[in-house]
Amino acid sequence: MKSRRTPMVVLGAVIGLVSMASFRSTPASLTLNTVAPNNTSAIASTVSNAPATTPSTRRAGSTSPTIAPPPTSPATTRSATGSTVNYNFGTIAVQVTVDGTKITKITVPSLNDGGNYRSQSIDAMAIPVLTQEAMSAQSANIQSVSGASYTSAGFAQSLQNALTQLGI
Amino acid sequence: MKAATSETIWTMRREEEVMGTVVVLDLYADSSVTSDALAPSLRAAIHELHEADRIFSTYDPASALSRVGAGTLDLANAPRVISDVLELCRDARELSDGWFNPWGLAGGADLMGYVKGWAAQRALEHLRAGPARAAMVNASGDLVCYGGPRTGELFRVGIVDPFRSDSLVALVDLHAALATSGTFERGTHLIDPSAARADLRLASASVSGPDLGMCDALATALCVAGEEMLAVIESLAGYEAFIVGLGETRQWTTGFALAGVTDDNLSVTM
Repeated sequence: MKSRRTPMVVLGAVIGLVSMASFRSTPASLTLNTVAPNNTSAIASTVSNAPATTPSTRRAGSTSPTIAPPPTSPATTRSATGSTVNYNFGTIAVQVTVDGTKITKITVPSLNDGGNYRSQSIDAMAIPVLTQEAMSAQSANIQSVSGASYTSAGFAQSLQNALTQLGI
Repeated sequence: MKAATSETIWTMRREEEVMGTVVVLDLYADSSVTSDALAPSLRAAIHELHEADRIFSTYDPASALSRVGAGTLDLANAPRVISDVLELCRDARELSDGWFNPWGLAGGADLMGYVKGWAAQRALEHLRAGPARAAMVNASGDLVCYGGPRTGELFRVGIVDPFRSDSLVALVDLHAALATSGTFERGTHLIDPSAARADLRLASASVSGPDLGMCDALATALCVAGEEMLAVIESLAGYEAFIVGLGETRQWTTGFALAGVTDDNLSVTM
């Protein structure tokens, strides 16, 4: 892949990450890493059943276990900080924490976006989205997110680097 | 990339700052296709986005649309695409029972909401004409694609939870376009329904279908119209919708390509 890199394009590090995740496992039931809501029971009582779901949803749903599969190796919590990467608006370094091979936490200890209002506002919007995208991409094997406004190859490159340091 | 399948597909991502946001173009190519071979279609796609920005910008007083609005440029002398988009917006207004209305605000028509999806769709068509086996364009959270990550697979995407920006409310198999409108872009982490604007009846609305411009318009209309408009979407051939209410209720049309929804334990059922 690297040999095809050109100055004008950025390789899809997020996609690469997703592809790796997809080869690793395809769990039937997944838990999204998420901030606990204030009131989870509110969701249970308000989820409405649609008149009908797609046949594939029904078929898959009827066979899926309700608990996530156990980890295949003893879980050990480790973390690493990826290299500082240049991105559209400055530099970024991403820290990742893993439990075994599962990402449990992503933080951004180093961010230099030039301090101007525009890049700050984009970053304020982007970082939670990027974190969410990376976490959910790992667990849900998805290629993109609708409703999220921005992704950054810089974020993904630093994340990839941190994962490589951890041998993942 | 680890070779778990016999297919060797590589990916290329381009992020382009345009139309007041960042548009992400993901190309999937066979190993026999070089980045040089992909470059012309990628250039054409990006040019399309910047052309749309140049012509339709409401921030730039020198844009053709601004000048039409100001009365200093006749529509007849303006780029043809302005008439085309106006016509498409009229169609969208009609199909949405008047809920999508770019003429609703003072100061002339604001077409940028429609144009973003329209331009992303046109950009994708340039990629489709090129050697990439599959591609996805993400215009600020509105998605359009052809093909899938591997042969026989569709792209699978998530819809952001409007109440928790770092989680998803649903997983969707992407056949073509998917647009999501809602409150999440305000940057609030949790939304108090009582504080929601009276003219916004849903937390978020996602519409899938063959054309991203129309999906975007219909999603916007749904957010304003509320769940009663689901029946309108249901009646439109090719278009489907998934909505999240202000009380976190979730509803979707019968044909929506749902691959999973989060349950009360916030786990995704596949």
